[in-house]
Amino acid sequence: MRQDRIERLAVSIVEFCRFLRIHGLPGDMRRTVTALEAAKAVDVADQQSFAFALQTSLCSTMEEWVQFPRLFQEFWGESQPGPRSASDEHRGPSKNDGRSREDGSSVVLGQASENAPLSDTKGRAVYGASAQQRLKKVDFSEVPYDDLAVLEELSLRLLRRMSLRLSRRLTISNVVDRIDLRRSIRRSISRGGEPIVLAYTSKKPKKRRLVIFLDISGSMNFYSLFLVRFAYALQEHFRRVNTFLFSTDVVEISDLLRTRSLPEALRGLSQRAAGWSGGTKIGESLRQFNRFYGKKLLSRDTVLIILSDGWDTGEPELLAAEMRVARRYAERVLWLNPLLGLKDYQPITRGMAAALPYVDVFAPAHNLESLLALERHF
Amino acid sequence: MPVLPTRPDDEPLDEHVNASDALADPDALVRGFERWGYIADRSLATAVYLSTKLRKPLLIEGHAGLGKTEVAKVLASILGTQLIRLQCYEGLDVSSSVYEWNYQKQLLAIKIQERTEQTIEEKERHIFSREFLLERPLLKSMLAQDASPVLLIDEIDRADEAFEAFLLELLSDYQISIPEMGTIHARHIPYVILTSNRTRELGDALKRRCLYHWIDYPSFEKEMRIVRARLPDIEEELSGQVVQFVQAVRQLDLAKPPGVAETLDFSQGVMALRSHRLDMDVISETIGCVAKSMEDAVKVKAAGMEKLLPQIP
Repeated sequence: MRQDRIERLAVSIVEFCRFLRIHGLPGDMRRTVTALEAAKAVDVADQQSFAFALQTSLCSTMEEWVQFPRLFQEFWGESQPGPRSASDEHRGPSKNDGRSREDGSSVVLGQASENAPLSDTKGRAVYGASAQQRLKKVDFSEVPYDDLAVLEELSLRLLRRMSLRLSRRLTISNVVDRIDLRRSIRRSISRGGEPIVLAYTSKKPKKRRLVIFLDISGSMNFYSLFLVRFAYALQEHFRRVNTFLFSTDVVEISDLLRTRSLPEALRGLSQRAAGWSGGTKIGESLRQFNRFYGKKLLSRDTVLIILSDGWDTGEPELLAAEMRVARRYAERVLWLNPLLGLKDYQPITRGMAAALPYVDVFAPAHNLESLLALERHF
Repeated sequence: MPVLPTRPDDEPLDEHVNASDALADPDALVRGFERWGYIADRSLATAVYLSTKLRKPLLIEGHAGLGKTEVAKVLASILGTQLIRLQCYEGLDVSSSVYEWNYQKQLLAIKIQERTEQTIEEKERHIFSREFLLERPLLKSMLAQDASPVLLIDEIDRADEAFEAFLLELLSDYQISIPEMGTIHARHIPYVILTSNRTRELGDALKRRCLYHWIDYPSFEKEMRIVRARLPDIEEELSGQVVQFVQAVRQLDLAKPPGVAETLDFSQGVMALRSHRLDMDVISETIGCVAKSMEDAVKVKAAGMEKLLPQIP
């Protein structure tokens, strides 16, 4: 009888972990096992102890910790811990999540899937050095539709090469830091203890962290697509890249860009990010970013890259204040503005003017060449 | 944080009986913590209890100054065991966390051995023996002789990812290999407590191995109990005002909201000024205890008495 009860409880705990997974908590195998062990160690008749035991074994961030009591309540209810089933209760939300957000974002989706096969059939024909040169200089907003696929493939290749070169450059260093006593003494033994050959250590060069903050509002329509690819190419070769999209809200897409194929990443993207082609509130978005991610991501080895045209419908004071915060924590702030490619562009929009004092590098980002030129700023 | 009050003399307790009793169940741990002046809620006690029972590391996260580090110190006191602390920082490496050879001594030994008939192998064995080994915290926790120590790995988020990966290996096998000596297994598996201020996200692999506890700002009642436990001399009325004030300050949008450590500092500051109640003058004199930057201080002052201490005329 007792054995039976314990078994039923174990089944319920496993069900509960599945329930947590549905709601975005990890609930993986290892944590499930820990939860089972924990339940065995406490008095399960006492619901509070039981809840705390599961909480400490199944959560591992503050967000999960805060969410847990509600989820626990929802699953176990007022009753004593007993068998429940998770699978039949929560089918609704996870299913229609994707549907509800298909506004402007489907633009990206459509192009991604159409272009993938195109680049195979049409792309090859134009591959000459001259065509590449031409495409490198063409403004993204003026790309004729036929060239789009070629440009895309070219850009991915070039950007990939650039990020590869960057990561190589960062690992080569001949600067001698200090003597490695351990190795020196080791070597000296065969010479009777006379340290003739010294061994040195040098600091391992640390790769910089990149944080990319990409504007996807309406005014950036022509560019945001390419810039997402730019972010994707960078992410492929830098281990520490975090990418955020913003228009009026901020959403992190680093995990999406880490998927193997670009079309797949873009498909996920169109479901995740709301507000494609919407209005812009750079200041507000940056405030959200600083609040929720800033402390974690920005540090003395971080380069913050903001990709935006600076058209801001929010308060310029807010933007300036938030830029100051970001500038203080990051090592360097790059603002890449596609409009800078226009001949007579002046950064006089209110937002841009407010942000400019806190920007270390203000550079164009309207064509491939300008993106490749960024290499020296990293 | 102020120094922990020592246990009152009129409570003589046999250490060993005490240790196993204190770990009997979460409630016993709550009482154990309280005896050492630490007000722990059931949730924390359950986490610590499970960590000792399942022998899993406990990761405690929370804002600065909420007593994360104290948990390990108090646990060591309750168990009557040694506390071994490793403070993490950027660039922390194996030689300052695990072990290092005593190079000066090795050099001297080589010189002394010069005229002897020993072979090179013998010499090498000699200078790489335990005698020349400097034990750093992690190795020390493996070598503890008579009982499991409490190993506190403080502010793990400050160490870099490479060290985190190394730690992962250590925490799963509790063994360390030293190339010159071989592998060392832990005699007594330490109780491991890790703390983090969340300045960076920890790797999932590490988090998966740990139990987790999040320490939030305490409620008014709990903070009152903490203040009374730590500062028995404070007047009832003043402590109420101080806690109420700090709780209100936490609601402001500060860059560094005050933790419990700040509450205690602030209380001591006010007591040192021999004030019996809070008013704006006392607050401006002691504002440095609560607000830790110029901007924050300005914000606190701007909020004004009326908002922060509404019950005082």
